[in-house]
Amino acid sequence: MKKIMLCVLGLLSFTSCVAVREYEKVSLNDEEMKLSSKDLERFETNFQIYREGSAGGNGGKTGGGCGCN
Amino acid sequence: MKNILMLLVVGGMGCSLLAQENKSQEYVKKVLENTEVELLYSYYNQDGTHASVTGGEGTEQLTDMTPTIVVSIPVGENNVLTLDAGLSAYTSASSSNINPFDGRNPASPWIESSGASRSDVLSYVHPSFSHSSKDRNNILSVNAALSNEFDYNSIGFGGGYTRLMNDKNTELGVSGQVYLDKYNPQYPIELRSGFTGSFGSSITGNGTYTPQFVPFAQLKRNSYSGSLTLSQIFTKKFQASLSMDFVFQEGLLSTPHQRVYFADKGDFFIEDFQLADDAERLPFNRYKLPIGARISYAFNEAVTFRGYMRYYYDTWGINSTTASVEIPIKISDKFTVYPMYRYYVQTASKYFFPKDVALSTDLYYTSDYDLSAFNAHQYGFGISYKDIFTTAKIWKIGLKSIDFRFNHYERSTDLKANIFGLGFKFIVE
Repeated sequence: MKKIMLCVLGLLSFTSCVAVREYEKVSLNDEEMKLSSKDLERFETNFQIYREGSAGGNGGKTGGGCGCN
Repeated sequence: MKNILMLLVVGGMGCSLLAQENKSQEYVKKVLENTEVELLYSYYNQDGTHASVTGGEGTEQLTDMTPTIVVSIPVGENNVLTLDAGLSAYTSASSSNINPFDGRNPASPWIESSGASRSDVLSYVHPSFSHSSKDRNNILSVNAALSNEFDYNSIGFGGGYTRLMNDKNTELGVSGQVYLDKYNPQYPIELRSGFTGSFGSSITGNGTYTPQFVPFAQLKRNSYSGSLTLSQIFTKKFQASLSMDFVFQEGLLSTPHQRVYFADKGDFFIEDFQLADDAERLPFNRYKLPIGARISYAFNEAVTFRGYMRYYYDTWGINSTTASVEIPIKISDKFTVYPMYRYYVQTASKYFFPKDVALSTDLYYTSDYDLSAFNAHQYGFGISYKDIFTTAKIWKIGLKSIDFRFNHYERSTDLKANIFGLGFKFIVE
């Protein structure tokens, strides 16, 4: 838990000092840089929810809506 | 499926009307310029030796096909309506053995039965609506979810708020989701009333077959989740995010058709099929806490690194760690290939017992190997074609992208699986 809190604090500490301007975000705006699952990844996430004991933490389903975990 | 199509048509007409009303306003760049249509398809197959329907021993052969359509429609300058609908059609050897006594094949956990439970179709529709403020720093969204399969149906709804700060370098999101589900339980055939009357003379074993089974009184399953996500741009080439979910589930969390065999009860058979001592019994609540982190880093114009880590904890005793990497490599203006790898490891649930190990005096028990201790490797590749100018056009419909993914999955408990995904994205002008 301590490590997680350190990560959160680390991320928060950067929020006040970093400001990449819109015109500097060419690389960041690339589709491959998105901080989310790709559209087709939903099917893999879905079978993993069925075949593994855990779910969530990836923007996908956390449970419910199907007879899986 | 008819209902899903009706929703798409009515939703589309409503949005066109709203879009026309806003034509007279001053020009603001829309959140979504054109209607986008995605056609997605996946094919999944697996095989293994630890089917939970047959108490942890038996064929796990399964195939699943999922045609899906996602339509995103701009509503005025600031809103997007998305309709996501699809099917998941599967055939499962283990599910077929809810009733292995079909009279055609010998009854065995290793042989597929031809009964009705051999296949099923899950159909679903997920409409969602998002509103962005004019400065695009605030995004509100609401969603609903409806799904139905023969033995399970679900209604869900949720909402979220995202705030962009620090020149859109920082993003903070909160969201909540509720699912109200209900089982229509299909118990193993030998646990249903009247079974011993019909099959009693075929049962072999010492003594009289008297399973411990009592039907579940609670058939509802409710899931509540809250999520918090923080994303941060660090440099022109590096960004990261952290997301944390808190999930609470209550109700029938057992799967009613999964058999359990006790160590302290006699074994009874019909042909090669062992009759269940009970269906799995799991607690009526569960808390889950998954925490995930993503990073993406652009080495240069052609090569990107995408990484993901997750730690998971729940009150059933499962702790898991997930790590995955994907390295997209642009091989031309339009084509990108990406190799990927994922590693997963989990501890066993405290309620998991292999076949013939649980005791009839235990309060909770399951032989579902999805809840056992294992590790899994998944590796594969993807290819994507992107044309931002949509030069390939038919009438007003332009092809924006084509994506293909393939992954192979191997679990340390004998399960192997392959999954293919194919997606087409079109722009409607």
